[in-house]
Amino acid sequence: MMNNKTIKYQVCTNCVMDTSDSKITFDNKGVCDHCITFYNDIEPKWDTGDKGHKELEKIVDKIKNQGKNKDFDCIMGMSGGVDSSYLLYMMKEKYDLRPLVFHVDAGWNSQIAVNNIERLVDGLGLDLFTEVIDWEEMKDLQLSYFKSGVPHIDSPQDHAFFATMYKFASKHKIKTILTGGNYSTECIRNPIEWMYYQSDSIQLLDIHKKFGSIPLNNFPVTNILWHKIYLPYIRKIKTYRPLDYIPYIKDDAMNLLVQKFGYQEYPQKHFESRFTKFYESYWLPERFGYDTRKVQYSSLIVTNQMTRKDALLKLQNKPYDTETIKNDFEYISNKLSIDVSELKKYFQMPKKTYKDYKSQELIYNLGSIGMRMLGLEKGGKR
Amino acid sequence: MLHPRIIPNLLIHKKGLVKTVNFKNPKYVGDPLNAVKIFNEKSVDELIVTDIDASVKGDEPDYELIEKIAMECRMPLCYGGGITNAKQAKEIFRLGVEKISISSAAINNPSIIPEIAESVGSQSVVIVLDVKKKFFSNGYDIFTHNGTKKTGLDPVKFIRKIQNTGVGEIVINSIDQDGSMKGYDYKIIDDVRKTTSLPMTVLGGAGSLDDLGNLIKKNSIIGAGAGSLFVFKGKYRAVLINYPNQKEKIELIETFMV
Amino acid sequence: MIGVIDYGLGNIRAFSNIYKSFDIPHRIITQKHELSGIEKIILPGVGAFDDAMKKFNTSGMRNTVEKMVFENKIPILGVCVGLQMLGNSSDEGVEEGLGWIDANVKILDTEKVSHSTKLPHMGWNTINIINKEELLFNGIHDKKRFYFLHSYYFDCNHEEDILTLTNYGFNFASSAKKGNIYGVQFHPEKSLENGEKLLFNFAKI
Repeated sequence: MMNNKTIKYQVCTNCVMDTSDSKITFDNKGVCDHCITFYNDIEPKWDTGDKGHKELEKIVDKIKNQGKNKDFDCIMGMSGGVDSSYLLYMMKEKYDLRPLVFHVDAGWNSQIAVNNIERLVDGLGLDLFTEVIDWEEMKDLQLSYFKSGVPHIDSPQDHAFFATMYKFASKHKIKTILTGGNYSTECIRNPIEWMYYQSDSIQLLDIHKKFGSIPLNNFPVTNILWHKIYLPYIRKIKTYRPLDYIPYIKDDAMNLLVQKFGYQEYPQKHFESRFTKFYESYWLPERFGYDTRKVQYSSLIVTNQMTRKDALLKLQNKPYDTETIKNDFEYISNKLSIDVSELKKYFQMPKKTYKDYKSQELIYNLGSIGMRMLGLEKGGKR
Repeated sequence: MLHPRIIPNLLIHKKGLVKTVNFKNPKYVGDPLNAVKIFNEKSVDELIVTDIDASVKGDEPDYELIEKIAMECRMPLCYGGGITNAKQAKEIFRLGVEKISISSAAINNPSIIPEIAESVGSQSVVIVLDVKKKFFSNGYDIFTHNGTKKTGLDPVKFIRKIQNTGVGEIVINSIDQDGSMKGYDYKIIDDVRKTTSLPMTVLGGAGSLDDLGNLIKKNSIIGAGAGSLFVFKGKYRAVLINYPNQKEKIELIETFMV
Repeated sequence: MIGVIDYGLGNIRAFSNIYKSFDIPHRIITQKHELSGIEKIILPGVGAFDDAMKKFNTSGMRNTVEKMVFENKIPILGVCVGLQMLGNSSDEGVEEGLGWIDANVKILDTEKVSHSTKLPHMGWNTINIINKEELLFNGIHDKKRFYFLHSYYFDCNHEEDILTLTNYGFNFASSAKKGNIYGVQFHPEKSLENGEKLLFNFAKI
């Protein structure tokens, strides 16, 4: 589906989102709808002061009660990234929870991530559980996504992460899952056009059906209805984002982790996975023109952690390291057991979107409207 | 001063990295290439990689995988599994591997040892003996084919027989202690140490850095091999590649080495 | 352009992988005409001295390499047995060495080595850099470790040819240099970061 309309370039006057998000709209002051959604829908309801703290304490008390006499009272998803690491620290040290640290190894762990997980787990004296995704199946699914031509080729990793966590919680009857998702650095989300819902199993299975070569016997597949309705409302397994209730300033969190645990910094958000690094810094911006830094910086701008001027300055540099990109290309090709020329072929093939494959988009849209009507979701992806 | 070597041991089964207990029940722990990459970045002393299917199935070595692994290793790599002749050994060396290990091939045909040693040098020929305690006496048996075939051979006697035929190193792998993380089998280690002055590496049972330390304390210069210790973490045996950093390693060695 | 001599012995791939990762142009040399345009030479070597000398002598490359080293002053780096080949002779065998550095290869004196596995000298050991200005060791701190695997050592007849010393029962030359001729007893292609740095330095000399 060729888009012959040439959209006139415009960038938000408040953040740095621009018309590379083709669905962006601007008000008469040139402020984009992402900012407006934040200021109107998210910010008013987002309290990290007394109110937020009290709400979190209520949640924490509930978790503690449910977890009495059990080895651990909740599970916390840990990628080795700053958000989940800081969450772990806060919940254990300041809120006295006894989490089981849950890590999903999808085969792309960087050494820094593995090291950071070890430092946190050892430093906090916590127990770790790892689920290892079958690499041959992961590889096949990953290649299917490349072959499909869609932008959201990092879905396999994300999908596996959530599916595994939910399945584990369900199997072991754990009532609470805590994740490091947060408004502070993620209030502005990647447009669906850039990153379609990774939890949409219909899309995942359709893409695999069309382009995969081995069956997905071990790969964990979740379902939006299962984990957004069945688990929380029937099984009463709840997922919380504690970082939304307390002040969370990225730089401060990083400094604390470095000082207390010898944590190693990542060059950019999500770089704990070598694939995500390649995907966000090269594939998405160079093939599709979607630069996720704009999303990340915009979140930091509206939460006053970064100035628009700084963001624009940083955006002048390429998102990937021109010195090492050749090595990354080789590494990714090698891991996927293909030639560099084959990877380059996928880079150049016609672009597709999520609409070209089966999906549960309708359910997501209905769900989103419903959640917002019930006041259960603030803002959100579009 | 020369330091003892601390060596992660990786097993490959159906193209994936696995860990076993008593050589049974391989548990999938991830992609071998990623593990090797991480170990390389952690600057490990040496790496042992063994394909546990190859001899059982009579397969040729997986040259493609070997080449990829060798490309990631900036430290010595010992590869084993299914090597039965000098031609295979030569090809593996060509792909960038320093040492090859043979087990059943050496037991069935000990003349292969000098044959391989002649083409590349004995330093590259490693003999791996998978050993298990005898049921009714104090001795040990050598097993092959992934712990499934009893050879009836005594490891000490076998080592005495082959030690001067071009062997570069002996690896003793305890089937009893494999995956248990309860400590090395010191009896067989001592027996072998008394028998030969060839370099030695031991596998099977290391559960903590102290286990490595105690081995070093008793033997000074030796290869302290470990599988589970460097792949699992904590009481749930969560898969997480780990290895002591430079500082921790030096501290360990200096504390335990006499 | 670095030339890695492949006369049949040594981990050629490992050198290639390292130079590839640095994007330093290099070529694997199996025939003398491939030496054309080469600006630096690496001479690897593992196994027995006699075997290495015989293979190198019959490779057809010896004369060209010798010419490049002495007439064009092309830097050459001998590695492990490659270092030993630069000497006059070896107690390990009967073949004549290249004689490019005045040294004789002798078996390591392990009298003062206390543990039972005396030979070979295998594992990570420290190097003591004698001349801290030496470019080959630029950026490599003193007492850093490299991987050794040998039973014989390079006994230099002239102290000034010794670049680094390593202790294994006694102090022996772990690397040597005479003009544009270098040699290391350890394996830089398998010595992690330190080795990579050394190979990088050699390329920049």
